[in-house]
Amino acid sequence: MSQPLLEVRELSRRFGGLLAVDRVSFAVQPGEIFGLIGPNGAGKTTLFNLISGVTPPSSGAVLWRGEPITGQPPHRLNRLGLARTFQNLRLFEGLSVLENVLVALQRRPRSSAAGGLLNSAGHRRAERQRLQAAWQLLEELGLTALAERQAGTLAYGDRRRLEMARALATGPSLLLLDEPAAGLNPAEKDQLCQLIGGLRQRHQLTVIIIEHHVPLLMRLCDRMAVLDFGVRIALGTPEEVRRDPQVIEAYLGTGGHAS
Amino acid sequence: MIETLLQTLLNGAASGGVYALVALGYTLVFSVLGVINFAQGALFSVGGYLTFLLMGGRIGVNGALPGWGLPGGLPFWLALLLAAAGSGLVGLLVERVAFAPLRRRNAEPLLALITSLGAGVVLVNLLQLLMGAEGYAFPHGSDALGGLPDALVIAGARIRTIQLLLLLISAAAVLALSLWLERSRGGRALRAVAEDATTAQLLGIHSEAMVRLAFFLSGALAGLGGGLIGVSVSLPGPYFGIGYGLKGLAVLVLGGLGSVPGAIAGGLLMGLAEALVPSEASGWRDALAFAILFVVLLLRPRGLLGRRTVEKV
Amino acid sequence: MIDNGLLVQMLIGALLGLSVYLPLAAGQLSLATPAFYAVGGTLAALLSTRWSALGATADGGFPVPSLLLEMALGGLLAGLLALLVGRLVLRLQGIYLAIATIALVEIVRVAILNLPFTGGAVGIFAIPQPFATAAGYLLPALALLAVAGWLCQRLERMPLGRAMAAIRDDELAARCMGIDTTRVKLSAFVLSAVLAGSTGALAAHFLNTWNARQGSFDASITTLAFVILGGSRTWLGPVVGGLLLTALPELLRPVGDVRLVLFGLVILLGPVLAPQGLITPALLERLGGWGLRSATDRKTEEAQP
Repeated sequence: MSQPLLEVRELSRRFGGLLAVDRVSFAVQPGEIFGLIGPNGAGKTTLFNLISGVTPPSSGAVLWRGEPITGQPPHRLNRLGLARTFQNLRLFEGLSVLENVLVALQRRPRSSAAGGLLNSAGHRRAERQRLQAAWQLLEELGLTALAERQAGTLAYGDRRRLEMARALATGPSLLLLDEPAAGLNPAEKDQLCQLIGGLRQRHQLTVIIIEHHVPLLMRLCDRMAVLDFGVRIALGTPEEVRRDPQVIEAYLGTGGHAS
Repeated sequence: MIETLLQTLLNGAASGGVYALVALGYTLVFSVLGVINFAQGALFSVGGYLTFLLMGGRIGVNGALPGWGLPGGLPFWLALLLAAAGSGLVGLLVERVAFAPLRRRNAEPLLALITSLGAGVVLVNLLQLLMGAEGYAFPHGSDALGGLPDALVIAGARIRTIQLLLLLISAAAVLALSLWLERSRGGRALRAVAEDATTAQLLGIHSEAMVRLAFFLSGALAGLGGGLIGVSVSLPGPYFGIGYGLKGLAVLVLGGLGSVPGAIAGGLLMGLAEALVPSEASGWRDALAFAILFVVLLLRPRGLLGRRTVEKV
Repeated sequence: MIDNGLLVQMLIGALLGLSVYLPLAAGQLSLATPAFYAVGGTLAALLSTRWSALGATADGGFPVPSLLLEMALGGLLAGLLALLVGRLVLRLQGIYLAIATIALVEIVRVAILNLPFTGGAVGIFAIPQPFATAAGYLLPALALLAVAGWLCQRLERMPLGRAMAAIRDDELAARCMGIDTTRVKLSAFVLSAVLAGSTGALAAHFLNTWNARQGSFDASITTLAFVILGGSRTWLGPVVGGLLLTALPELLRPVGDVRLVLFGLVILLGPVLAPQGLITPALLERLGGWGLRSATDRKTEEAQP
């Protein structure tokens, strides 16, 4: 097997008396779509927070292309090529849709503050490139018509796609999607599935996706891990996971989410 | 040597008690609304002037009604009590004009900093219109303190009675308030609103009434502080409360926003630290509170006894 | 009613409003502006009265280039102080930051009051005059305001300005989008301090005397009121707020002692009547035809494929 893009080793996070994530290990290969499932409170979002640097882990390690990156701040991890979306949607609500994407295009390309103040030719060129890239992303996610709208006024599905556009604008190799299908209707879920597959192709992405909707994950993912009470209870292809007796008991067996 | 130390400590504890009063006033409002009431310093001034008038003081030559005063003259303790109640009522008024309209509109909490300060500016300048900018001294001697001697000798140290009273009264007020918050129905209701206004509402606790109660108590505490300092030191002018208001703010953060024990501990700590500044450096004393605050904030960003909150992502 | 002296004061108010606005545009409620203003003013007062090389004349005159040099140095010193202090205080959030910056203002005030060379309560007086009349000060004040306004306008079309707006909306999301929020906040804080320091240096000459009262808690709140009443979503808001609120007490002078009560009422009722402030993005949108339209709007039209 080639070197994994991201590896978590024995990662744990304790909140007071609660072990939200308990010695979780897995590795994600470049180009993979990797699913994370588990009942509510299983520690999926906490795991994303640990990987993206939002919360420091209590113990364990995160490796990026084999190098340890544990405990680095989010902005540095993002510059390495790790971008995320949020379960509860955290757009810059006062800014326009276009500006939301432009914010994330800060460094693509870089330009100096002095150049910006003096409106130098280099700065103008960089701004043009940023705007072009932003419009392209909006086009790709079907947000062009909404570009001038204030992000806070968007409909739910549009917000979800804007979050993805914003994350993509940072130029990631790894995209962490936290419940991107939540609140979408079946047709929208289908579209999302195709969109994620397409984005992987065009942006050479590796994707880790948290999702409750199991059929969607089964269809989309190359491999997946199952969390229950902070512990990774299964890891493998969707087919392997589906047959895992522990998974059937802990999660699929409850029937609630499997439908 | 021991005597001076005793005196210094008593002075420190006495002003520390007053700082704690002001800080508790902020704490009450902060716990229920999550905002700072910047009119607190002005209410401190109001309490000082009310006490002065109730004790029979007359308005000076620069005031609106020179020579005018309330008939009679109440004993010190009664005047103090009434002045505290009066400041509480003014506190209610501040809530009505500076906080309630913003709350009804769900406005940004930042705006309350401005409106409450506006209310403070109005109050202080109304005081100045009425009383003039001049300083006022309270009558001294046995009359002033209801027959108590002006000074006591304890363990060989001569101690001004008013300093001792200052300490005792602020300690009693602080203790009564903490007990009330802890034990009584009203106090528990207030704390319930502070914890979670929506749930409290579901439990049938009327949070608007609790907000008003918090503002009344908060104003009364500030007014009590103002009256005590006025009797003990004098009233140097309508703006004198602002300085105490700022010190109270430093104490509030030192102890941790919203923490009652923190406000008390912070107040005492600040008062004692100031009292221990040698007299050669007395000019720097006013900066000490803020220097301590600065260092504490950098070491413990939520104050000494503040609660830690985890942001939910 | 409005003479040249008041006009200069109004411009100084607008500059201080912008100084409060800059950190606020990055979501940071800093009340430290009067501290930096006091530092810049004290430096200018000391340099011009003690350092003869700057060319103060016996009859109280002062060369204009020396004034500009002092404004630069005042801004530099305030900026350095902000760089030092900012690293520490900008870790604090919300109201804690506000109170820590009030503490800074008080510490600077007491220091200026007690340092052996700043003249105590009286302060430094007979500061030499580069201009014979108040009208002379209009030009440097306007020039500084133009530079500051141009800076704010440029920020809107720059990564730094966009990062500030993003932090104001959601700091955590901004960090996850690769924005070094510590650096961005520090940049805004230092810019704010440089502006206040330069303004202080100019004000020290204009006012002729300089003492610790120039930078006090009162000033923290009045300058914040400039921003809140003017509107904190665009840089024009604080400018308008600063101009109007500085003029107000003077314009109210005819009503006598009641004027400060009225001033307080304006601060009290303003946010209730206009929570967004006087100048809002929506208002500027309506004035779009006058060329005041937000920068990105125009740029996006150009770049749209």
